[in-house]
Amino acid sequence: MAEGGFYTAASPAEACALLARHGDGARLLAGGTDLMVAVNERRFAPQVLIYLGACGLNYIRVEGGKLLIGAATPFAEILKSDLVRDQAPLLAEAVAHLASPAIRNAGTVGGNLANASPAADSATALLALGASLKLTSPAGQRVAALEDFFTGPGQSVLKAGELIEEVIVPAQAQGAGWAYRKLGKRKAQSLSVVSVAVYCPLADGKCRGARLALGAVAPTPLLARKAAALLEGQKLEAGLIDRAAKAAAEETRPIDDVRGSAWYRRRAAEGLVRQLLGQIAGQ
Amino acid sequence: MYSIELKVNGRPYSVMVDLKTTLLEVLRDKLFITSPKVGCNTGDCGACSVLLDGRLVRSCITNALTAAGREVTTVEGLARPGEIHPLQRAFHEHYAAQCGFCTPGMILAAKALLDENPEPTRDQVREALSGNLCRCTGYVKIVDAVMAAAQEMAGAGALKAGRG
Repeated sequence: MAEGGFYTAASPAEACALLARHGDGARLLAGGTDLMVAVNERRFAPQVLIYLGACGLNYIRVEGGKLLIGAATPFAEILKSDLVRDQAPLLAEAVAHLASPAIRNAGTVGGNLANASPAADSATALLALGASLKLTSPAGQRVAALEDFFTGPGQSVLKAGELIEEVIVPAQAQGAGWAYRKLGKRKAQSLSVVSVAVYCPLADGKCRGARLALGAVAPTPLLARKAAALLEGQKLEAGLIDRAAKAAAEETRPIDDVRGSAWYRRRAAEGLVRQLLGQIAGQ
Repeated sequence: MYSIELKVNGRPYSVMVDLKTTLLEVLRDKLFITSPKVGCNTGDCGACSVLLDGRLVRSCITNALTAAGREVTTVEGLARPGEIHPLQRAFHEHYAAQCGFCTPGMILAAKALLDENPEPTRDQVREALSGNLCRCTGYVKIVDAVMAAAQEMAGAGALKAGRG
């Protein structure tokens, strides 16, 4: 086993080189809001930590109609950013309901996605917006669509020695409908029981390329493709909204846990999709 | 083990930590600064809240190695010895503490808010304190205290500006 240690990476390239060199015992550390909970609960004993807080991945900028967010950008910066509010208000809305101020000061968007919780609150909004991730490894860079990124609870397509460098978010189209709602046990500082994000570009009042994303109702954050297909080219009216809400609920694969039953989650997902599409229809 | 240096309440310290040490353990067990409390130890309750470079964080899930070279503020550092901060006075006067366990975290969450937004609405105060749990007060008196402190501090600021 390689020698243990704490490394402050000076660049993303250095972080992946360290990750590759130290193998399975090495973990990336950004805000620590997930990792240190695991340490305190003795579920995880770090051997090598590679700290990403000083490697130049804390930024938000716009390039070619896309919002580029460094993976180690804390949620508080995303919430404060005028660029995010202008270009991707759906993301800003989701982040406003994510955890609480102190956690948003530390927790980062890259960490939230890399941990691949089915209930990751940034994931639903980013899936609805069609975001992709720039992944970096010693072998080079690739771009993965977020909808192809998650493979199971805590599982993703990230390979050994690979890290998320950047989140790429297409700017929301002018006049596109969007809505977000999270159900938790309390308003702040709670994990989602169900969350839904809807992004719905409209042309002549008809849906074009709508995307519905649901959190905490499947082994991964879920894109409800069948529900979206029903909406394509259609006007949002009550009958259609009802069919889409039922289709979205059909696509869920929820579990019973301490926060809610599978039965409740499926019904709540249907209700939220109906409510949010109704909200968009009324906008 | 690693030696790190950090400033707490304006004073420099050097402490030994390992990969698992939290900032809360450094403060309580090594420096004997005990206003931050061990509540849930999972980042949920807010009793361990401190300011790190002026920003509110959970010290119980802040890896101590990431605090190296940075500046920590706890309630002990809010006022000079023998004095109290307007937030502390307002919590006292408005009966905003009962058992007191959440109070240091509440005061620092309020401080972080007032540093950014000196004239908050009640809703903004509730949002700023939303990650800090209190099992005694029902929160109303805590919000009263923060509003009163904001008013007092704004008044003091106006006085200072008037003198300048």
